[in-house]
Amino acid sequence: MTVSTTARAGVNKTTAKRSSFLRHTTALFLILAGGLAVVLFSVKYQVHDLETEHQRLVSELDDERRALHVLRAEWANLNDPIRIQALAEHYLGMGPMRPLQVMSVSGVQDIPLRLMAEPFDGEVVNDTP
Amino acid sequence: MIRHDPNQQEISFEALDPKRIRIEGARKQALEQGQTRLLVIGVMCCLAFVVLGARLVDLTRHGKDGVAKWHAWTAAQSKPNVVARGEVHDRNGNILAITLPTQSLFINPKEIRSALTGAEAADRLLTVLTDLNRKALIKKIEGRGHFVWLARNLTPEQVWDVNKLGLPGFKFRNEERRVYPHGATFAHVVGYTEVNGRGIAGAELEFENVLGSQGTDVDLSVDLRVQAILHEELIKAQEEFNAKGSAGVVMDVNTGEILAMASLPDYDPNIPRQSKGSPGFNRATLGVYEMGSTFKLFTTATALDTGTVSLTDGYDATDPIKIARFTISDYHGKKRWLSVPEILTYSSNIGTAKMAIDMGKEKQKEYLSRFGLLKASQVELPEVGSPLFPSRWGDISTMTISYGHGIAVSPLQIATGVSAVVNGGVMRQPTVMKVNEKNRTEGQRVLKPETSFAMRALMRKVVRDGTGSHADIKGYLVGGKTGTADKQVAGRYDKKALVSSFVGVFPMTNPRFVVLVMLDEPQGNKATYGYATGGWVASPAVGRVIERMGPIFGIVPDAALPEDEIKIGHPMYLPEPEKSGRTAMLQGGVTHAAY
Repeated sequence: MTVSTTARAGVNKTTAKRSSFLRHTTALFLILAGGLAVVLFSVKYQVHDLETEHQRLVSELDDERRALHVLRAEWANLNDPIRIQALAEHYLGMGPMRPLQVMSVSGVQDIPLRLMAEPFDGEVVNDTP
Repeated sequence: MIRHDPNQQEISFEALDPKRIRIEGARKQALEQGQTRLLVIGVMCCLAFVVLGARLVDLTRHGKDGVAKWHAWTAAQSKPNVVARGEVHDRNGNILAITLPTQSLFINPKEIRSALTGAEAADRLLTVLTDLNRKALIKKIEGRGHFVWLARNLTPEQVWDVNKLGLPGFKFRNEERRVYPHGATFAHVVGYTEVNGRGIAGAELEFENVLGSQGTDVDLSVDLRVQAILHEELIKAQEEFNAKGSAGVVMDVNTGEILAMASLPDYDPNIPRQSKGSPGFNRATLGVYEMGSTFKLFTTATALDTGTVSLTDGYDATDPIKIARFTISDYHGKKRWLSVPEILTYSSNIGTAKMAIDMGKEKQKEYLSRFGLLKASQVELPEVGSPLFPSRWGDISTMTISYGHGIAVSPLQIATGVSAVVNGGVMRQPTVMKVNEKNRTEGQRVLKPETSFAMRALMRKVVRDGTGSHADIKGYLVGGKTGTADKQVAGRYDKKALVSSFVGVFPMTNPRFVVLVMLDEPQGNKATYGYATGGWVASPAVGRVIERMGPIFGIVPDAALPEDEIKIGHPMYLPEPEKSGRTAMLQGGVTHAAY
């Protein structure tokens, strides 16, 4: 192998710079890799925790949904018109509404107004025609 | 030996930096080439990693098939439906059928026997599930096999109690059970499912694909409140007149939606075995009956629409019609000339038969088919009966069919046809599906609007002055038509076995609902002076249904006084007849009816 040292003086400066740069990048990448590893590690565990939490929530949601479903069925059961009619008749003395009890909004205005029982002193109460 | 060149300087090992070594000649070239290649490969590798990285991000975000994996995963984790089968709702969203998740108890006999004897295990289980048979239980536990059902569909409390016993070999399996919260009220509309959860009757069967395969809910057109009213009134009427069966339909005349439909006797869909035999038979859609005089509505509408008669015309109904070996007579004959409104009001067979002969069988057939009475109803239910009518449609058939004998249709078909008669003359197919903006149908015009308006006034007169007066309730203008037909028993008409019906419409000035009640073989009682005709047994029930359902829909009572109805200008006014009248001529060749 023939090694020449003729251009040594010129090269020396740049090589020194370059080698220091290389050393720095290596260190930088090492730090970066280490940092990333830490971040990755923590994210992975975070994800793991979130997944557990998610699964818990999902199963909770399913339980609630199930309960809701059953409660809706129970509500439908309690909402049976025959049952409600019997209860209304027994406890409230109510009966089916008669057709003549229905009135339109315009019909309500036809109800004659009643006179106020005790008018204030000196105040004139107009009798509605 | 290594020869030292005196000109060569000593280089320390540390100084042997590759960059400081200069290589010349062919070797230098080879080295540079190698470096270039290395660079190219390096760049290519980097690119490949970039591509891989991009793909990784893409897969994470969008997944293999465009759906992110975590999306699918979440969906699989949390099912939006608790149970597989969809629910059935009424038009207001009330639940009519719902599937509940339950647990069923099964045993592995071998596992039990390793710890307990059959009698011991049975006795301990019986402390919790008291209604099991001890002998059968011991037999099951001491029997063969690895899997034996002990009790199906237990309540959560029962499951808890069994688990508390801590018996070995007793296990639970998740199952589903169809529940009908309103029991028999909706029996024939909703239908029921078999043990495995497949629909086998009513809407449950008709919409099996939607409910079962897709698991989607179905919204029916029925109204829980109206159905409860109709069902209750039908039971009352059936018990009061000791009828063999009955059917009722409430329909929206403007959409064809069935708001309520009941058929008695019925069954509790929660107990499917009750549906065996007569209770499982839907008299409203599957049963076809000779409906009697309600058919006069269609005959009169046809005669008016074709211009055969006007409201002021009439026919002589003094004497019965004698044709071949048949005699057509009136039940309570007025034995005089009757105007068209009077023919309908007093339900004259003679007058109606003459009217039918006058317009001819072709027009009669055409209009009956327009009203959907000559082919099976298109309602979305599996239980639909086809109408029966003579294949040879002669003059006698024309006459008998004009008043509803010699033709058998389902009560639902009558309700549908009457809807078209009163709603302005537009025929819409009956439906059990809730009608909304999307599936609203235009319908087919079958009558001129004027004919429909005249029919409203005629039907009002029937209730005001005629056979349907028991349906005339305070507040609403009710119109309708009674129908009473002798049933055929062993090929002969039996005067004691009747099919009595009433089809009512309200409010008559702007019809919204048609209510039909039919009683199969009702018996008259003291209150009806022994009569079991439609006017006496069916029309009061219709009146009560209308009285109770009207306020639910907020229908305001008619403001006009009863005496206003017969004044000119009122929509229910009918012109005075001219006593001239028409004469129906029988054609020469009289052919016999098929029956």
